[in-house]
Amino acid sequence: MAVDHLSRTFSALADPTRRAILARLISGETSVTELAEPFEMSLPAISKHLKVLERAGLIVRSREAQWRPCKLEARPLKGASDWLERYRIFWEQSLDRLEGYLKELQGKEKRRGRKH
Amino acid sequence: MAGSISATADRELVVTRVIDAPRRLVFKAWTHPEHIARWWGPQGFTTIHCDMDIRVGGTYRFGMRSPQGTEHWKRGVYREIVEPERIVFTFAWEDPDGHPGYELLTTVTFSEQGTKTRLTLHQAMFETTEGRDGHVTGWTSCLERFADYMLTMA
Repeated sequence: MAVDHLSRTFSALADPTRRAILARLISGETSVTELAEPFEMSLPAISKHLKVLERAGLIVRSREAQWRPCKLEARPLKGASDWLERYRIFWEQSLDRLEGYLKELQGKEKRRGRKH
Repeated sequence: MAGSISATADRELVVTRVIDAPRRLVFKAWTHPEHIARWWGPQGFTTIHCDMDIRVGGTYRFGMRSPQGTEHWKRGVYREIVEPERIVFTFAWEDPDGHPGYELLTTVTFSEQGTKTRLTLHQAMFETTEGRDGHVTGWTSCLERFADYMLTMA
């Protein structure tokens, strides 16, 4: 996954309202009016958030129905979560090696201590 | 291995490990290039470049090679160095053209636990485009929820 896509995904996820919108879309396609209901926000403000989500590829808006329902698009989220998982693995394995290295280093120090 | 990966209240990446070595030595292993080069990176990776200017505002750049021969470069800036307790630095992987990607703020703390050292690594997200004032909280929990959701879709 390209870094640009990731940045866009993360920027889109950075906002609590947008995360709430995505969470709402888990239960299925929803109209903009319905999405706006739980928030104390105007329709244009919600539309702005939807545009960010749409640009990040996190939602798609149907052009067929007149009420243009919003639908969740899971693929970019999968990419972002895979990316995070790679960091987890990176640190875990690095720390395994650090432990091994420090053991080796201390062994050397001890041997040197005995010599002197 | 004595350690765990857990999620804090805001669900960012936290890795803890109790290491059987004195704190001064663990801190040294994180702050000297000749040491870092020996353990940095996943199993089987070799360090091919390690240049670090360890002071607040100083930069670092590391290169490593995977067992398959692919090179990976990362770079960042040291934000805080409190010997022997804490180091804070930014962390970004470079793309093949050498441009740094998404930047993470990493905090590593070392605390004494008897003769051992408890190491806690905390990786926080912030946005590169909109500045560093607004730390992004709660987004990883969002990712986890979607991961569950995708499992139900499969």
